[in-house]
Amino acid sequence: MAHTRQSSRAMDVDGAGSYGSAPRAGAWSRDRLDCPQHEDHPPFFTPSYLRQSRHVQRLHRAYDEHVADLQEQARMSPPEPPPLSTRSSYNSLHKMHASHIHHHRPAVQDVIERLPPPTEEDRSHPLPSRWSEEDRMSGLEILADGTEVRFGGVTKTSDEAASIRADHPMPKECGLYYFEVTILSRGKDGMIGIGFSSRKANLNRLPGWETDSWAYHGDDGYSFACTASGKAYGPRYSSQDTIGCGVNFRTGNAFFTKNGVYLGVAFTAVRSHGLYPSIGIKKPGEHLRINFGRTPFVFDIDRMMEQERKIVMTTINKADVSVLHPPDDENALIHKLIGQYLAHEGYVETAKAFSRDVHDQQQSLSSQPESFHLPDSDDDIHAINRQKIRKSILDGDIDRALKYTSSYYPHVLEEERNKDIYFKLRCRKFIEMMRRYTELATATSSPVAMTKSVDSLRSNGHADGAPLATDVGDGDDGADTQMELDDQLHREAPRGQEPPPTDDIDMDASQELPPKASFMKQGDLLGATLSYGQELQHEFGSDPRQQIKKQLTELFAIIAYPNPADSPIGGLLDQSGRVQIAEEVNGAILVSLGKPSSAALEKLCAQTEALLDETAGKTGGAAAFINVRTDFLQA
Amino acid sequence: MRGTHPFDRKVEEMKPSKSEINWVIMDYLVSEGYPGAAEKFAQETNLPSPVDNESIRERVQIRNAINRGRIEEAIEMINEIDYEILDKNHHLHFHLLQLQLIEIIRTILAKPGGNPVANDFHPAIKFATEQLAPRAPTDPKYLQALERTMALMIFPADKMTKEFKQLLDVKLRQQVAADVNCAILESKGERSEARIRQLVKARAWAEQEARAAKVDLPVLTSLALGPDESMDGDAMVS
Repeated sequence: MAHTRQSSRAMDVDGAGSYGSAPRAGAWSRDRLDCPQHEDHPPFFTPSYLRQSRHVQRLHRAYDEHVADLQEQARMSPPEPPPLSTRSSYNSLHKMHASHIHHHRPAVQDVIERLPPPTEEDRSHPLPSRWSEEDRMSGLEILADGTEVRFGGVTKTSDEAASIRADHPMPKECGLYYFEVTILSRGKDGMIGIGFSSRKANLNRLPGWETDSWAYHGDDGYSFACTASGKAYGPRYSSQDTIGCGVNFRTGNAFFTKNGVYLGVAFTAVRSHGLYPSIGIKKPGEHLRINFGRTPFVFDIDRMMEQERKIVMTTINKADVSVLHPPDDENALIHKLIGQYLAHEGYVETAKAFSRDVHDQQQSLSSQPESFHLPDSDDDIHAINRQKIRKSILDGDIDRALKYTSSYYPHVLEEERNKDIYFKLRCRKFIEMMRRYTELATATSSPVAMTKSVDSLRSNGHADGAPLATDVGDGDDGADTQMELDDQLHREAPRGQEPPPTDDIDMDASQELPPKASFMKQGDLLGATLSYGQELQHEFGSDPRQQIKKQLTELFAIIAYPNPADSPIGGLLDQSGRVQIAEEVNGAILVSLGKPSSAALEKLCAQTEALLDETAGKTGGAAAFINVRTDFLQA
Repeated sequence: MRGTHPFDRKVEEMKPSKSEINWVIMDYLVSEGYPGAAEKFAQETNLPSPVDNESIRERVQIRNAINRGRIEEAIEMINEIDYEILDKNHHLHFHLLQLQLIEIIRTILAKPGGNPVANDFHPAIKFATEQLAPRAPTDPKYLQALERTMALMIFPADKMTKEFKQLLDVKLRQQVAADVNCAILESKGERSEARIRQLVKARAWAEQEARAAKVDLPVLTSLALGPDESMDGDAMVS
């Protein structure tokens, strides 16, 4: 045995790269991620028909976070080199052996290994991904990373067989679950059962015959539901056939497919939890391959999923909206939701235009037209203030945003809970400086001389440090770098159009602007950016939090790239980052004003998703087919 | 203060992003025809402006014509956009003509002096025989609708039952205007219903499903929409 294992280890190492990790009691991290929960982390896969599933999307996020955490840990404390002595790593090898290569072990050992599997079900309800190493009958070999199973043993009596279950039950949160099994080889007079069962079902007979098991058998085409007497259901199946099995948790029906053809409902009132995909075989050499959705299915399950979704959507379209906010009907409710959102977020101009549009529409119905009056509101001033701050950020003028914020809402950015927002704003300024530097660099390479202004780039704190303004035409290195910086070209919102302050805050102090005619060359801009970077480092560099350090490092790395926009971290420069920060600042101000950070419409979305999620977790019914984000918040 | 129910925490986790909400709003403004608001919204959010503001205004004009009861005008404008819209939607075409007949009758009923005499209804009868009667035999529903509409001429206003009053309610104009809007959008290969409509329906449906499944729910806080409603109100106990 030891010899076999050693050689097989060598084979594995050759085949799949190196396995290096400090062996810990019972844990062997095959992918170098020293994880107490999992042996290895094969890439997450989403079956095509579950792409929109809220449950699967959550599993995917959790997987990504888990792996990222482990990678971060591994980065912080590099693992010890792998042990050289075979002896000391015997345990790990044994485990690896069990999961990775064929089993040629006496039945006795199998019996020991089939001790009760871990009773605590994974509460995240993961998707089945492979055959279980533990939950299988002796004589079954697992091949090809858990996707194939072959019978190598002997059965003594005529109704004895060898069955196996998948590593996880089919999660009802998916609404519909489907998998396919391809018969690679069927023995002479072989018997194959494909279906599902709970852990109560014995594994020494075919699924379908045992209590708590349901299956479609290949030798007679019968379906069996927890009993040895079956019903005529579909055609027989044999080598090279692909059999699909699906459970619809909304209807409680189970069905099968053969080579992509739907065979009809096989079972009704199937219960919704603790059911594992399962197969059983009984002749030596019988060999099956399972597809849990890692590769495309033969049957068009995507279409069935889409039909299911449409059925549920039809039901939704009949729902009575008037109960939500009586006495409003659907139209009135939608108008209120939109109006409240616009006011809440400080989209002042849109809010006005919207109420005018709604008013006009109402007027067209009425015989006595009334003129349009905007309702007065105490919130107007705050809405306008917030609008200005947002506009500044969206324009990329972070200094202006900071000035407005500190004069209208002096303490908001000082609050402990808003420290991160402040940090992000300061970082954003660095990004905006780099953006402009990139623009200049691009402009330099073009023959047309462009002029741009950078007056808004000057940071408040370091004007004394870097000489920002230089004389125009101070000819040094050729026409190409003689870049004048013109106001118009890059200021989306010229200051001249700024509305006058509407409240009693003294804007004289806060609106003290850098010199209007400050011109800067590309090199100077880089200098200014660098010294602003130093300022950032000085202010935040000593922060003990890892993510702050990480963000700063990432930020400064931009400078290293000749063309930052095309660099691996070019996404940082994207304009969309402004929207994110503008929203966070707006939210912080709202909270400081004692208002909820989200509007009724946002709450309505979140409530809907949470209601669907809770219901799907409980029943796996219709709610599982609807995903607020992909069904209602996108085209 | 009561403790935070696990469900409320879940709601917190499931908040959509503002850009998702902004998308929903823009989708509504464009598809239901609020051109002024759509333009401002694009400016204030840095979203791209609606691609075809002209076609929004076109739809708004048709909607306003229907809302004002100028059905003939609306039908002409629809045909200007695409003749096939009404050619392919027989039901919609019939509804428009029925509404036109109702508007003719409404004008007659509203004549000063009241109690119109039989002769006054002549234009309505002429329109009905020329436009509606030939279509009525094609569908029993048309026949019934035509009969009801014609009956408006014989019932005195104070003896009308609810179903007849509905024909004279301006809400019917709104309904037909909305159907026309959908048909125009569909003819251009666009989604006919704004997503926010499905969203509010889904909210109502989801609560109903959750209650049926006996999900452990806290008192769902109300949709705080008016100035007098607090976000922490408990208006939605069911």
